[in-house]
Amino acid sequence: MSVSDAHAAMSAQAQAAATVRAHGPELADAAPPVYAGLVTRALAFAVDAAIVDLTGIFVGVVVGLGLSVLKTPDTVDHLLLAVGGVLFVVWTVSYFVGFWSTTGQTPGNRLMQIRVRRESSDEALRPRWAFVRLIGLGLAALPLLLGFLPMLLTDRRRGLQDMLGRSVVVHVRGAR
Amino acid sequence: MRVPLVSQSLGLGRRVSSAAADAVGRAGLAGLDALLEWRYTDEAVKRVLASPVADHAVGHALRGPLVDAVARDLAQSAVLESPAMERLATEVIESRLLDTIVERLLESEELWIMVDEIARSPAVTDAIGQQSVGFADQVAGQVRVRSQRADASIERVARRLLRRSR
Repeated sequence: MSVSDAHAAMSAQAQAAATVRAHGPELADAAPPVYAGLVTRALAFAVDAAIVDLTGIFVGVVVGLGLSVLKTPDTVDHLLLAVGGVLFVVWTVSYFVGFWSTTGQTPGNRLMQIRVRRESSDEALRPRWAFVRLIGLGLAALPLLLGFLPMLLTDRRRGLQDMLGRSVVVHVRGAR
Repeated sequence: MRVPLVSQSLGLGRRVSSAAADAVGRAGLAGLDALLEWRYTDEAVKRVLASPVADHAVGHALRGPLVDAVARDLAQSAVLESPAMERLATEVIESRLLDTIVERLLESEELWIMVDEIARSPAVTDAIGQQSVGFADQVAGQVRVRSQRADASIERVARRLLRRSR
């Protein structure tokens, strides 16, 4: 380690110690989380749905226009349609599972300053639990959206998807 | 006849006293030289400087009018604007001393506390906020605030309905 590296390390150490002295070591964990409610989450989901759908529509239109100038048999068209459907499902799953299991924030969540996290800790969901949560989202919507009703009645504002995915949705600290 | 005699006597007296003063001065300087070359002088000076007397003397000097007088003389003679002082300042800036001072400052917790306090000060946060908050951010902020109010309202309604149905 060079002298300048050593000084940089000591400088970083002093900076960290100063932060602890100025703010206290457990400031981030001191305040209880504020759970996001139905309306906020619905707006965030609407933004995400718009992004997913518009992207799918844009890609579909581009591919459709490209294919329209080619003379392809009906069988190929049907096959491409099925492949497009599968790709759209993959894209949708990747979008939600990817964001929930990395930053915990989809673009819609970022806009509304909320974050999906594990129920027991402040970490993002594991990919498999994010996938379970997405399945739970579909299941919650199936019975006339009744799966979302617990969000209005439970203390932590958890819907069926949160219970299945072992997650909660909280407001990002400092954004409220 | 008496006047020239008196004036000659006075002139002789002045010469004699002047010669005596010179002799005393030379003897004094010779004594000083001998004192400085004396083998105990160095040790005596060290002991005086190590004693509380030296501290007291410096303290008295600094508390007295000396510092003001030095500052006044520096200002009057424009020493700080002289080319020599400019060269001195340049050498200090280019020296290793300044690097060491900066490194020590960066290692100081107090400095980072000060930086942190400044960064969190209303003046700085307001200035940053004014630059970064655009129209879209303001709209999104309002949507967030209203959606949170709506969250609370819709929950109140749902719980009221639930209580009635029971």
